This record gives sequence, C-alpha cells and structure tokens, in this order.
Amino acid sequence: MNVHDLNPKKTLITLVAFTLLLVIGFFTMNKPLLSYQLNLEQSLADLKLEEACFQPADLNAFLTQDSKDIILIDIRDRFSFGQGHIPGAKNISAYDLSQEENIELLNEYKMNKVTVVLYGNDQLQANGSWMLFRQVGFDNVKVLLGGYNYYLAHAKDLMASKDLTDYKLGSAKYDYAKLAQAKNEISSSSTTTKKKPIKIRRKKKKAVASGGC
Amino acid sequence: MNRNYFFLTALMLLLAIGTMFLSKSEQQKQIEPDKLLWEIIQPTRYVSTDEVAKLIIQNDPSIELIDVRTPKEFAEFSLPNAINIPLDSIVTTSSLEYFGIPGMNVIFFSNDAIQADQGWVMTKRLGFDATYVMKGGLNRWIETIIQPTEPKETAPQTEFDIYQFRKGAQIYFTGAKVETTTNAKKNKVVIKRRKKTVTASGGC
Amino acid sequence: MGPLIPNGFITGDWDFVIAILLGIAFGFILEASGFSSSRNLAGVFYGYNFVVLRVFFTAMIVAMVGLLYFDYFGWLDLSKIFILPTFVWPMIVGGVIMGLGFIVGGFCPGTSFTAIAIGKLDGLVFTIGLYIGIFIFTESFPLFSDFYTSGDMGNPTLMDVTGISAPWIAFAFTFIALAVFWITMLIEKRVRKTTTAYKF
Repeated sequence: MNVHDLNPKKTLITLVAFTLLLVIGFFTMNKPLLSYQLNLEQSLADLKLEEACFQPADLNAFLTQDSKDIILIDIRDRFSFGQGHIPGAKNISAYDLSQEENIELLNEYKMNKVTVVLYGNDQLQANGSWMLFRQVGFDNVKVLLGGYNYYLAHAKDLMASKDLTDYKLGSAKYDYAKLAQAKNEISSSSTTTKKKPIKIRRKKKKAVASGGC
Repeated sequence: MNRNYFFLTALMLLLAIGTMFLSKSEQQKQIEPDKLLWEIIQPTRYVSTDEVAKLIIQNDPSIELIDVRTPKEFAEFSLPNAINIPLDSIVTTSSLEYFGIPGMNVIFFSNDAIQADQGWVMTKRLGFDATYVMKGGLNRWIETIIQPTEPKETAPQTEFDIYQFRKGAQIYFTGAKVETTTNAKKNKVVIKRRKKTVTASGGC
Repeated sequence: MGPLIPNGFITGDWDFVIAILLGIAFGFILEASGFSSSRNLAGVFYGYNFVVLRVFFTAMIVAMVGLLYFDYFGWLDLSKIFILPTFVWPMIVGGVIMGLGFIVGGFCPGTSFTAIAIGKLDGLVFTIGLYIGIFIFTESFPLFSDFYTSGDMGNPTLMDVTGISAPWIAFAFTFIALAVFWITMLIEKRVRKTTTAYKF
C-alpha cells in the first residue's frame, strides 16, 4: 500500500462524522413560526391592492348581520378597548396575534376564507401590523380604513361614508406649493438665511471583520 | 485502486448538488418577521412635524429626509434638502444605498404618515436602523408649520410656546422657501466610495 | 451564530488564542499530509506526486460546500465573513514569483516551518532565505508601492464578479477537483513506472 492511499478506517470515521454534522444541522435548524411569503417587490405591490383594505361602509354588514366570514380584531391596548370599541370586535394586540395559538387561528380563518380586519385608533396604528401579516402570507388580513376614530365619528350612518373619501389617506389635502409660495410674498422681507446644502453620502458595502488566509 | 475513493467522490458530489437546494443564502438579508413585528409595535419611530422643523432650522447634518411620494409631487413641493425615493422603488439597490449610513437618521415623509410608514416597514424588514416617520406627513406640516392656528386663550402656556415656535418656523420656511427648493434640486448627491480598510493579510 | 467576533459572541481579544489553535491544527495537518518533505511538495511539478494538489483541493471543496450548509443552518453568516481585497496585477506577479520559488526551493512559506519543526536543514535554509526576501522587499518597497496597490477591485467574491450563484460555483469546483483527483492518480501511476523510487 502506498503511503498516500487512504486508511479505510479513518476514511470511514471522517465520512460518518462529516455526514453526522450535517444531519445534526438539519435537525437542529429552528423553524420560525412566521416566514415571509411575499418578497420585497410583491409586498410593495400588495400595498396597492384595493381588496387588502376594508371600507368603513362594509362594516355595516358585520354589525347588522353578524356575518360569520368577517372577524374584527382590535389591536389597541386593553384600556382603549375598554373605553370603547366596535361591537363584536376581539381585542388581540399585534404582538399576541403573532403568538402560536393565534397564528393557528389565523391559519384556520385563512382556510375557511374568513376575512380578518385589523383596526387601531387610526389607519396608521394598524398599518405596520397589517403589512406584516400580509407579508407572512395571510392574504385574508385587511386593514380598516379610517380606523376606530372614523368609525366613532360616523357610527350612526356608516353607509353614508360610501360616497365619502375623507377616510382615504395618502393624498395631499392642500396645495403645498401654493401655500408656501403665498406666504413667501407676504413675508418676503425675512429672506435671510442662506442655507448650505447638506450632502448625503451613500453607503458602500463594507468589509466586516479582518482576517487572513 | 482504493474503494474509499469512490465513496468519497460520490459523497462530495452529492453534497455539492445538495447545496443547490439551500435557497436561503441567495435572498437579501432580512430580519425575522417576529422581530419586525416587535419593531412595528413600538411607537418610537414617529417624530412630530415640530421636531422635524427644529432639526431643519438647526441645519442638523445627521438628518436625511426621504420623500416617498411620486417624483411629480416631489417636484411641486417638498421639504428642504429632501431626497425623493418613491415608495415603489424603495427596495431597489440604488435606493438602499441611502439607508444604513453610520450616524445618519432617516426621516420618511409623505402626504400623510401612511406611505412613509410603509416605506419604514419595508426598510426595517431589510434591517435598517435609525429610521423614523414624520407623523401626520406634509398635511400636518402645512397645518402646524406653514399655517399654525393660534391656541385658545384658555389653553395652557405650553401650547402658546409651541405656537410661538411654529410662528417662527413659519417665517423661516415660507421666507427661505425660494432658495431652499432650488437648493434641493441642485443638490446632487455626491457618491463617495469609501475605501475599504486594508488590514494586514496573512500568507499560508 | 457565527462569525463569532463580528457577532459579539467573543471579543477581539480572542484573536490570538484562535490564531494559535488554528496554527496548531494547520501545522498538524501539513505534517500529517507529508508536506514537510520538499520532494513531496515539488512532486506536483514533476508529475510523480500530486498529494499537495489533492490535499488543498479537498480542503477547499469541503470548506466551500460545508460553509454553504453552515450558512443555511444559521451557524455562520457568510455575508459577514472577511474577504481579502483583490489587487489584480500584484497578485498575478506575486503568484508567478511564489510558483517559481515553490519549484526552486521545494517549500511554500507554511511548509518550510513544518520542515523546521521536524528538524530539516533545507527547511531552515529556505526560511532564512524567506526573511532575507522579506527584508529586501520592505527596504525597496517605495520603489514599487504604486504597483503594490494597482488593480484594486475591492473585495469581490467569485459570485459578485461572475453573477453565478454560490451553489453553482461550489458544484463546479467540486466537480473539477474530483475530476482532477482521478486524472492525477492516473498520471502518478504512469510517471512512477518510469522513475526510480524516491524516499520521503
């Protein structure tokens, strides 16, 4: 036998050890409860979906017919919930909603095609949680436009809001340029400070740790 | 010839083929969903229009205003020195270079806080820290800074103090308006390549 | 989990401890593979012994494939590891010099030290030459300091340059390495028939 021929025993041990290491790796990998189902581009496109939002007018169906295919979840804290909430809503904070038993519940709703509507005081409060739950694959989760405040203001006549758009956010309420311009003429005397522009440097990929060969 | 060589060759090939099924390594780095949710439920990311106004007036070099509205809206009006990154293109590689700069605090704003908040969530998912959202957006900006309303006579003193500040800010922003918008347009972002730190390299 | 120091599991003070442990392991493997013999090492260039090639290729593909698995398991974050900066021209020239020195001297820097460790005179002479070379380089560095940093590419990986994903590169290298193993074994057999036996 040549010096460099492989020793059968040692080869076997090395082989087994290496494979064992990888097998252990596979079994010890912790499976996270939630994982992203939508990639970044899909998530952005998802924000624009009309059906991802829940119109206040649609609340009527939930409130009057006690429909089984809509679940309302109040993600505010217990105190605010106690102060007042939409009748029939469940109080589960966004954090609790991401716990195991509630994820199972959400999965069940998704299977049965039940719509889960999240709301906070305003749309902003529920916005992040709504995005997250849609990104991890719960496409039955919607956000209540206007939030609780809008509901409270229009509780008596929700149907009327069907024609209104004042709960829809994202558009400019004012003509910014004109407003800023108009004031400029009035107080033109105060043009004093010449601002030096701040230059923002972009970040470059950086080497992390140092090492050698 | 040794039989062991065959085993080793086969195992190595098998393992190499196996790596192709490990898709995870190709994705962009993202934080775990539960971590992201934890960040989302913290209200600390919101800054008020007053605070933003104060930072701009002080010419704070560490703030980076990001306008997530469309380029058209951006061209009409924006905050001084703001950078326009429309929400749709926020996760492109060139946009992402604006985030995660050491020492810089990113403040997102849009017409109201919703789109800014959505931009915040998307960048947070990629793990960027020191990002904030201007609460109320430009609508609130107009209501508080450009057209502040006088508090009632019975209002507490602090409200009058805020009103005083807003009045001053109003003069600052509407007065210096013409200059700052032209500045913002001319203000080409300078990309400076950071030199990689060359550390002592070893040999073998 | 890993890399340990960038992720803050241990402080940078552990550098030296890790360096010593790795150095011991490296020296052990070099000696165990017979790399303290210059005949063994130079055998690659004459075709009678390809053990150097096989050991380094094995190390490379095992590490390559293993790291991909480790990254997947979450044991080591491959995006955080250090990548040596690439200076194209100096590296090519350095490689040529290194190759020449390897054939002429019969050692590469690391193996010359293992040779000293087992008491070989040629290893000692090689190392003395090594230090003289380093001295000359250091003293005359200003002459070619421009060249030393030319062709700076930053620290790209093969994936960045070619755009091919890591598993494919790993597979290609594994395939090439394994093919080379078998080919070199055949070459060895042929060459050894014609040469007289040699001692290690």
